[in-house]
Amino acid sequence: MLLDIQNLTKRFGGLTAVSNVSFGVERGEIVGIFGPNGSGKTTTLSLIAGILKPTSGAIVWKDRDISTLTPFEVAQQGLVKTFQNPQLFPELTVAQHMRIACHLHVKRALGIGRLRTLFSGMPAELDRTLEHKIGQMLELCRLSSQRNDEAGALSYGGEKMLGVAMGMVCDPELLLLDEPASGLGHDEITNLDAVLRDLKSHGVTLCIIDHKVGFLGRLADRSIALHHGAVIATGKTEDVLANEAVVAAYLGKKHA
Amino acid sequence: MKYAIAVGLLLALVAPAVVHSDSILAIAIYGFMAASLAVSFNLIFGFTGQLSMFHAASFGVSAYVVTILVTTFKWNFWLAIIPALVVVMILSLIVGTICFRFKLKEFYFAVVTMAFSEVLRLITLNWNSVTNGSLGITVVDKPSIWTPSGSFAISSGVSWYYLTLALLVIVYIICHRILASWIGRCLAAIRLNDQLGETLGIDVFKYKLLSFAIGSVLAGLVGAFYGFYSGFVEPHYFSIPLGLDIIAMVLLGGVNSLIGPVIGALVLTALPHVIELSAELRIALYGSILIFVILVMPKGIVGLLTSRKHAA
Ligand SMILES: Nc1ncnc2c1ncn2[C@@H]1O[C@H](COP(=O)(O)OP(=O)(O)OP(=O)(O)O)[C@@H](O)[C@H]1O
Ligand SMILES: [Mg+2]
Repeated sequence: MLLDIQNLTKRFGGLTAVSNVSFGVERGEIVGIFGPNGSGKTTTLSLIAGILKPTSGAIVWKDRDISTLTPFEVAQQGLVKTFQNPQLFPELTVAQHMRIACHLHVKRALGIGRLRTLFSGMPAELDRTLEHKIGQMLELCRLSSQRNDEAGALSYGGEKMLGVAMGMVCDPELLLLDEPASGLGHDEITNLDAVLRDLKSHGVTLCIIDHKVGFLGRLADRSIALHHGAVIATGKTEDVLANEAVVAAYLGKKHA
Repeated sequence: MKYAIAVGLLLALVAPAVVHSDSILAIAIYGFMAASLAVSFNLIFGFTGQLSMFHAASFGVSAYVVTILVTTFKWNFWLAIIPALVVVMILSLIVGTICFRFKLKEFYFAVVTMAFSEVLRLITLNWNSVTNGSLGITVVDKPSIWTPSGSFAISSGVSWYYLTLALLVIVYIICHRILASWIGRCLAAIRLNDQLGETLGIDVFKYKLLSFAIGSVLAGLVGAFYGFYSGFVEPHYFSIPLGLDIIAMVLLGGVNSLIGPVIGALVLTALPHVIELSAELRIALYGSILIFVILVMPKGIVGLLTSRKHAA
């Protein structure tokens, strides 16, 4: 198992945001996480990404507990998370965002040899590789035409796609996507769907949060439904979606 | 911009051939040292987003260490620079580690670094046997360099002019190389959104510390020379007003550029001499300039010049 979440619990004061959650992710899978507002989806991914520290429980990545690592160490392990509300570097262009996101790539390629770049600049070959990779990702995410625009000028959907593009350019083994589809228009969702399928075909493992059940339903091999921080159903996506407790959780939410 | 900088440097190189006034040379020398301080400060402040109030302390500690080693222990000036910079590096790593481990940001970082610098000021003020307390130390030695025709003391205005100009160029080039490298990108990420940077795999703590330590050591390098030009070191070097002067220079010149602080430092060093001002009035003038700049031209002189060009 690539990632094994064991009895994960997170309390904020008196509120238990994530309650005794366990699940696993196999290499090459797309795992969906859904549940109504406030059910603990974002908190779960933030725990995995090291942004929050669990109150109890273990996060085992390739047979090693990573729950005490800092976010950048988790990212270096090959686990990268995107944000529900797009996070940007204000003032910087789309291409500059992608350049920063290539940090791990440069680090892996040069290691301590990066010190030499202080004198001689970046090796031309690596530079070309990165430019090519960035170009490809932007093409895939339909951001090529806005390459030199300030990221703040993008549409909400564009900002979200930039988040996905930055996550992908880190070359993660597992990409954690927090509601990539929310706030996107119909065409943008179709495109996102294609992007994620393309990623999957390249062997990237995905963990995707969504509340648009339809979108996830088409994509995820397997799903986990959360309600009040606890897992209420898990299994094949269509089974989870048909599960009574899940339907009730969503309906209950609607009627509340 | 590159052209303008090259022309400026060229003018600076030939200026002593044309200008023979000692007082103008002195202003230029203080200006170059202030500019070196401002450029190194801006690595921490403008490019990494950390408002360090420790800069004057790094400058002062190094000035004291070098002066004491040379005047009391008869060390060679150039050799004494090494332990001075090591001391500054260790201090900045300690202060930086404490601040960045506790994730102190903005105001809190400024206040805590200011407190550390006060501690150092009080130590120099009270450790009479070594620092001579509030009187400071008079420096009569001058650094000398070896030429084929023998040892040559750097004592004339012109030689100090070229020495401090070289110092500025070195500090500038070091900062430029750092900012043009992958480190510069990490620093930008930290300044603009450190949480996002961290999830992209950037060790925010390490790069904040790196920028703080490099900036502080460069301030130490300036401090090493300062006392030997001015002829004395005193606890005033650590004072908050000196820290504020540096901030004013950076803000006036332009936070988001490397050359901005140079311009700001030269202008603010020359200004009080151009219009004769007492020390109190000088502080008042700096304060007013600071307010004016923050309100009217947040990107400083460089921002003003470049936006004119874009508009045209
Ligand atoms: N930093 C925090 N401090 C206190 N409470 C928090 C914090 N983060 C989340 N919570 C609470 O934890 C619960 C779960 O929040 P979480 O953001 O994980 O839900 P979610 O499933 O992602 O919801 P949404 O669909 O709205 O994004 C909510 O009740 C929320 O108010
Ligand atoms: Mg959420």
